[in-house]
Amino acid sequence: MAGILVLAEARRGELREVSFELIGAALELKPYAGDRLVVALLDAGAPGHAAALAADGVDEVLTVTVPVAQFEAHVAGRALEALIEQEAPELVIAAHSIDALGFAPAVAASQGLGFASDVTGLGWDDGGPVAMRGAYGDKLIAEYDFPGKSCTLLLLRAGTFAAVDAGPGSAPARAVELELSELARTEHLGYEEVAEGDVDITKADFLLSIGRGIEEQDNIAQFKELAQRFGATLSVSRPLVDAGWMPGARQVGQSGKTVKPRVYLALGISGAVQHLAGMRTAETIIAVNTDPEAPIFSVAHYGAVVDMFELADELEQALG
Amino acid sequence: MKIVVPVKQVAALDDECELLGDGSGVDPDGLEWELNEWDTFSLEAALALREAAGEGEVVAITVGDEEAEEGLLSALAKGADRGLRIWDDELAGAAPDALAVARVLAAAVGRESPDLVLCGVQSSDAVNSATGVALAGHLGLAHVAVVKGLERDGSALTVERELEGGLVERLRVALPALLTIQTGINEPRYATLRAIKQARQKPLELQTLADLGLDGAQVASASGSRRRRLAPPDRGGGAEMLDGSIAEVAARIASLVKERLG
Amino acid sequence: MLASVATRPVFWHFVVWLKVVWYVLAVLSVFVLAYGVARPLVKYRHGGGGRLPPARELSGRLWGGLLLLLSHVTIGRRDVTAGWAHRAIFFGFIVLFAGTVILGFETDFTDPVFGWSYFHGSFYLVYKETLNVFGTVLILGVLAMMARRALARPAKLDYARPDRSPDEPQFDRHLYRVGDWVFVITLLVIALTGFLLEGIRIAMDSPGYGGTQFGGWLVAQALSGLPEATLAGLRHGLWWFHGLLALTFVASIPYTKAAHMLTSFLSLALRDPLAGKRLPAIPPELASEPAGYATLADFSQLHLLQLDACTKCGRCHEACPANATGRPLSPRDVILELREQSNAAMRGAGIGGVIGQLLDGTADGEGFTSTVIGEHGVRVETLWSCMQCNACVEICPVGIEQAPIINQLRRRLVEQRELDGNLQSTLEVIHKSGNSFGENKRKRGRWTAELEFEVPDARKAPVDVLWFVGDYASFDPRSQLVTRSLARLLHQAGVQFGILYEGERNAGNDVRRIGEEGLFESLAEANIKTISGCEFNRIVTSDPHSLNTLRNEYPQLGGSWPVMHHTGLLLELIESGRLLVPTRLGYRVTYHDPCHLGRFNHEYEAPRRILQRLGCTLVEMPRNRDNSFCCGAGGGRIWIPDKPDQERPSENRIREAVSLPDVDLFVVACPKDVTMYEDAIKTSGNAGRIELRELTELIEEALVPEPLLTAPA
Repeated sequence: MAGILVLAEARRGELREVSFELIGAALELKPYAGDRLVVALLDAGAPGHAAALAADGVDEVLTVTVPVAQFEAHVAGRALEALIEQEAPELVIAAHSIDALGFAPAVAASQGLGFASDVTGLGWDDGGPVAMRGAYGDKLIAEYDFPGKSCTLLLLRAGTFAAVDAGPGSAPARAVELELSELARTEHLGYEEVAEGDVDITKADFLLSIGRGIEEQDNIAQFKELAQRFGATLSVSRPLVDAGWMPGARQVGQSGKTVKPRVYLALGISGAVQHLAGMRTAETIIAVNTDPEAPIFSVAHYGAVVDMFELADELEQALG
Repeated sequence: MKIVVPVKQVAALDDECELLGDGSGVDPDGLEWELNEWDTFSLEAALALREAAGEGEVVAITVGDEEAEEGLLSALAKGADRGLRIWDDELAGAAPDALAVARVLAAAVGRESPDLVLCGVQSSDAVNSATGVALAGHLGLAHVAVVKGLERDGSALTVERELEGGLVERLRVALPALLTIQTGINEPRYATLRAIKQARQKPLELQTLADLGLDGAQVASASGSRRRRLAPPDRGGGAEMLDGSIAEVAARIASLVKERLG
Repeated sequence: MLASVATRPVFWHFVVWLKVVWYVLAVLSVFVLAYGVARPLVKYRHGGGGRLPPARELSGRLWGGLLLLLSHVTIGRRDVTAGWAHRAIFFGFIVLFAGTVILGFETDFTDPVFGWSYFHGSFYLVYKETLNVFGTVLILGVLAMMARRALARPAKLDYARPDRSPDEPQFDRHLYRVGDWVFVITLLVIALTGFLLEGIRIAMDSPGYGGTQFGGWLVAQALSGLPEATLAGLRHGLWWFHGLLALTFVASIPYTKAAHMLTSFLSLALRDPLAGKRLPAIPPELASEPAGYATLADFSQLHLLQLDACTKCGRCHEACPANATGRPLSPRDVILELREQSNAAMRGAGIGGVIGQLLDGTADGEGFTSTVIGEHGVRVETLWSCMQCNACVEICPVGIEQAPIINQLRRRLVEQRELDGNLQSTLEVIHKSGNSFGENKRKRGRWTAELEFEVPDARKAPVDVLWFVGDYASFDPRSQLVTRSLARLLHQAGVQFGILYEGERNAGNDVRRIGEEGLFESLAEANIKTISGCEFNRIVTSDPHSLNTLRNEYPQLGGSWPVMHHTGLLLELIESGRLLVPTRLGYRVTYHDPCHLGRFNHEYEAPRRILQRLGCTLVEMPRNRDNSFCCGAGGGRIWIPDKPDQERPSENRIREAVSLPDVDLFVVACPKDVTMYEDAIKTSGNAGRIELRELTELIEEALVPEPLLTAPA
């Protein structure tokens, strides 16, 4: 049949934003890929989201009502396999998300699909999709193609592609019945929110954020003070939370908080993808790092290649 | 309880690494090799499980050339019981992707019939975040990805899955299973150099594709992608870099902040 | 009234059976003494590696130890009063003891066997005079010690331990204080009753040559009025009292503080002269055993002996920078803790056990095979507080090797992964990139880029001086200023020098002191291989830590070359005129002796002579030269974060410097000192008051010609 199958995502009853980014990305390739774009959602309450997913340019919305209340990787995997069998798309587009990572590679492996993850750019060449993604931790860009694959599964990085507006549009919705009982191999026990702690960094206007460049735990005190002097809230990147030096409530990033302050001052943060995901939409990003190649400079508005400790000393003097 | 820990020796680009002219790769002299950070956490989790149970076997497996021996030795030094390295000229030429590596691993892991397979969530150089779950797919094992907490519960495991935005989901999964382990779950232990030297006495096998009953064609067809080109990143607009002495930079930053906060 | 020949009775009016009783008691006390000596010997046998030095060396060592002991040099250091008081007690006791032996020899051996007696006439008079003099000296010494303890109360004699909190039962060690007092009082009583006895005899017998027995004579005057019968009764009673007390004292030597007479001497004689400077390699036969010490059975026999040699003099306690800044470490208390554990381990073995173990050479006992480390033992944080600065080893009057023992305990902790996370990652970084900064090794020579001349690569061309730069000097921005300065000076002086560029790795001194022997060996072997491939006349380094290991420890692994510190080379250049110092600097400076250059390698004078040549006025800090106070970076501590509210040793040192009158500059000669003290000057709030200079920078300043003054308008 060819065409593109987009796998939308929902969690705890809500559609996730990234779904619309995936549709947006798919629309760019639609003319090359058999001019058909189908959006599917696997969720206990899938039909309820059909209207929203029927954005302009979507040809059909498929809803699969899964027999488990929460996301279950093995159920989702089997459902995706069945959909691919039924719809025979040339290209399947899903998000590079925690949920999708939990089953998509297994499906790609067992079905012999083309596969690339964390894709940041798309193209079409020689009758097949081309995917761009980072290499060596985003220091370089690599280009991939998928010769000989009749179906390719791509996981797109969230926050990279432009989102489309939600429907309703003219696309019809169809409920797809799949035999998915008895497939779950994990049992959901419950959710836990991260402890709030004393501060909600998502509410701050000005975040002063520190990362691995801090090197030692006792250097944190200096920056706590600096943040206070500056009138900023202190936030951190993942390594400081992993090391147990700061509470998770202060973590900015994919597995922490997504923040959108007026000013984000990043000191000693290299800009791993997961961190960028949490702050790239800040209004003004100022990055300080001794490595001129640090990926953070690619999203920052202003940058300086200086030592964060020396800068902190000078800032303290400048602030008086 | 037998736990298999697939590990990867990853390459870090140093600042001055050169891209080969035709975009086919990087100058190997500019690469620094080390054991993947995520794998130190999954290995530590395996060792901790074995210590808690008082019995069991931890096997470290890698697909890689001689550089990868060091990572295996480090795993053995930390306490793994056996090491297995898989390499072949076919693999050297092919630059296998995540799915191809998963296929090769599946052949080796399958023979071990482990109770548990612990992978790292991702490797720091390729960052596919796919090899572990793909391996589970090949083996038909129950799997959970991005695990940040883990406890044994008889013949099952209670795990914590780390979701976006700091949300955590608790799950139970029965053994045999495969988990991909996230950083921060534990504190990876130190391997002294003496231990690394002594680790050479531990069983460390080298196997080729043929030993695993595979050939190059099977691996190639299991592959999911082909890398066409490597290029320096397009920085886009990029940041406006601030120059001058540190005092000047500090003053500029202070005034920018003041301006933007209004 | 003259007696015919000068002498005195030994057993005055003793009934035969009383004499028998006396001899029986004497023999008994010898057995008790022998058992007391055997017991610790068995204890030491439990120890592992490190045998005694070979027989031909042994006598030399014992002789050397004896001479050192007789000179009392080590006992008088940093405490002149104690030195003299101890000389008094020591020689007093020895002479009195010898006196008894001489007498006993005649009474019990030469007289009955050969009929030869010498205890009369002028021999007797000289004997008596000598004993009186030394008896008095002994009493004076004891009184001085008692006054010191009770009145002067020096801080180092406070036995409270920093590794326990006040509410813990083992905190203040008052039992030791009691033991010490019993000891000195017993000595005093023995000496006084000796004089008393002599006095009574003189009062009763009136021998007429009282002048030579002045002490007894004085007493006799006081007692002259007493009736004969009283005196006789007193004489009998005192004889037995004095005798029994003396017998008991001697028999109990091995069981009390007095034991130090034996153990301290042996410790001093058998100590490793390079203790701390050259740490022991792991012998090949132990290659597959766990490294270092965990149980008492792992300790070397010498170290087990040394645990018993400590006299609690407190000098190491006073010198230790960790203790001085409130950290839970005192070398004294580590040794005492281990001693208590070793004694507890022997408690199970009764007399039979000891004799049995002595005869058949076996050694068993649970106490020796359980770990010495723990909440109620030596604490992990105690061991990691140590800066391995060797102040304790250097000052110990009896040669105990506290820092090397701590190092051995660390070796096992590292293997068991009980080390601070920062330390662990630093070791991993050093292993991976060959330096503690985690920089790519290609960047090691980058500091040369700003120089106006090329620094030759010693690996590619022969040089006169191979300059081993060191991590901090190569990578730390503040230290790079010094390194470039040194390069310019050497270039100006026409020295043919070269560096190893990326062939150089961390020398390994601190890695070894952290306890990671394997990593040390691997670094050293790599450096030795690289250096061996070069042609040069001598190695010069600007880093004292590298100096120490290159000079003292690399030879063990096959790399033996002449190694010099840059201050030595600079002095040579100045004195030979290859570097002219035209401008005289008028600064008032103080100089901080780096641990690894000063205390470890006894190099104190070259930097001082340089400062003199530069025209600076040197104001010494109270703790200088061998007593220099460590900056706190050693032993890996530079990579372990400090608690924010704790005083750092470097801050303590800066405070010492600013308390000197009007000092402009704090001069250092070590890159780690540069880092630590630049920081400490700021954090101790002394930023405007004193400035830091490395010696090289001062020299360069002196070489820069002053701008020509323009004539006033």
